[in-house]
Amino acid sequence: MELTKQVEEALYQVIDPELGINIVDLGLVYKIDVNETNDVHVQMTLTTPGCPLHDSIVSGAETMIYGVDDVNDVHVELVWHPAWSPEKMSSRAKEMLM
Amino acid sequence: MIPQLQTKTETNIKLPLAFILFGLISFVTAQSLLWMNTAALSNGTFRMPDLWMAAHFLLLGWAVMVVMGAMYQLVPVAFLTPIWNERFGFIQFFITAAGVAGLSIALSLKPDAAIFAGSLAVIGILMFLFQIAMTLLKQKKANIMSWFVGGALVFLLLTIMAGIFLTWNLAFGAIVDYDALFKSHLIFGLTGWFTLLIFGFSYKMVPMFSLSHGFAMKWAKGAFISYIAGLILMIAAVWSSASWLLTIGWGFLWIGFTGYVIDMREIVKKRIKKKLDQPFVFSLISIIFGWMIHTSALLMSIVGVTAVTAWSWMIYLYIMMWIIFSIMGYLYKIVPFLWWTHKYSGSVGKKNVPTLKEMIQEKWGTILFAAMTAGVVMLAVTAMLEMPGLVFTAQAFLTITSSLYVSSIVRVLTR
Repeated sequence: MELTKQVEEALYQVIDPELGINIVDLGLVYKIDVNETNDVHVQMTLTTPGCPLHDSIVSGAETMIYGVDDVNDVHVELVWHPAWSPEKMSSRAKEMLM
Repeated sequence: MIPQLQTKTETNIKLPLAFILFGLISFVTAQSLLWMNTAALSNGTFRMPDLWMAAHFLLLGWAVMVVMGAMYQLVPVAFLTPIWNERFGFIQFFITAAGVAGLSIALSLKPDAAIFAGSLAVIGILMFLFQIAMTLLKQKKANIMSWFVGGALVFLLLTIMAGIFLTWNLAFGAIVDYDALFKSHLIFGLTGWFTLLIFGFSYKMVPMFSLSHGFAMKWAKGAFISYIAGLILMIAAVWSSASWLLTIGWGFLWIGFTGYVIDMREIVKKRIKKKLDQPFVFSLISIIFGWMIHTSALLMSIVGVTAVTAWSWMIYLYIMMWIIFSIMGYLYKIVPFLWWTHKYSGSVGKKNVPTLKEMIQEKWGTILFAAMTAGVVMLAVTAMLEMPGLVFTAQAFLTITSSLYVSSIVRVLTR
């Protein structure tokens, strides 16, 4: 499996403790880039600016990515634009919130 | 270019936790003191030293201390700026805790000495105001929440200034209009500080806990202006003894509160999380209680109710069903957040960590909240009907349920 896909799989294990749903299904992960030296750059957001859990979720994402074989360096960038919206959630996440 | 967020906004857990634990102890103390003084509650003799002690443990020891602790946790994350100085925060805690406990006890045992412990409490609160002001000044762009929180802090300052004049009067006399000053102290503290603060944080926390999206908050500015106008008119009314001005003041407060309710209703309506956590629902219900109390107060003012007992119990219901219940509901969310961050934040991705919901006893919380609502209503009704036996029973019930609430919060810290 290519490294980008492995990183995405790892991020499925990072659960938002308030909602009990992983950050990929929540639509919080915007972009996963892996360069030629296997450095990983992830761009992600949170459901709202000022989420009290933002440090925990970012460090959780970093930990999970570092756990993927062959990954060199990891940089998780938290952005507010474009802002998160419910349309970014997977149908599975939407069902869980019903 | 995509803007990047600063990292690391969490506060050392010991700081908010110290305030919250002091608050929880004060809550049980206040309820126990009220229980020991149900005779005074039954005959409407509210202005007596033992009830002053209970009121200050309830409002300063519990509500203000818990709010300070919650702000040490929430301000950095909500305003995206770290606390100005944590060490200063710990010093502020010890000074405020000593001052609040000393003031509350002195009001009962030695009222003429309350000025000294009160001064310590004032220094502690001024330090808190300075801390938060320095923190908010670092915020890049003010929003409506900044206005509500900033307004609340100004009213907290006014509350303690009025309070220090009142304790000065107990020690040395010489204040011309004690009654107007006392009423100003209540208006500044209850309607100004607490209500504006709950408004402000609700605009952040209600969308966050309900995962709401696409709401407009179009009443927020109007609610702020109207509520401030109402507060100013109320103060003018108590100093001029003009009852018509008081009615207009209540009218503006009602308009402000109604605007806030309309916004909250829209936020809840547009939520993505359909099944809300029960303790959070309790905070939302307290908004309805708050609106009903504002409506009742406006109607009482319009029809010219002047009975001191009726207004005293209205103030009690305002404190318990709007302010205290709001805080209790939010605390059931805030403490698990705080403890989870402390205990499990570094373990995400390393081992299975619980969700926040798994850290609380949600059903037990729901039973406690319902029981407390019943207890407060029973107390107010039986006291107004002058039924001492039932007043005693209602307050005993409230003391027990408050203790169980405190133990259920403390239990989170063992998860």
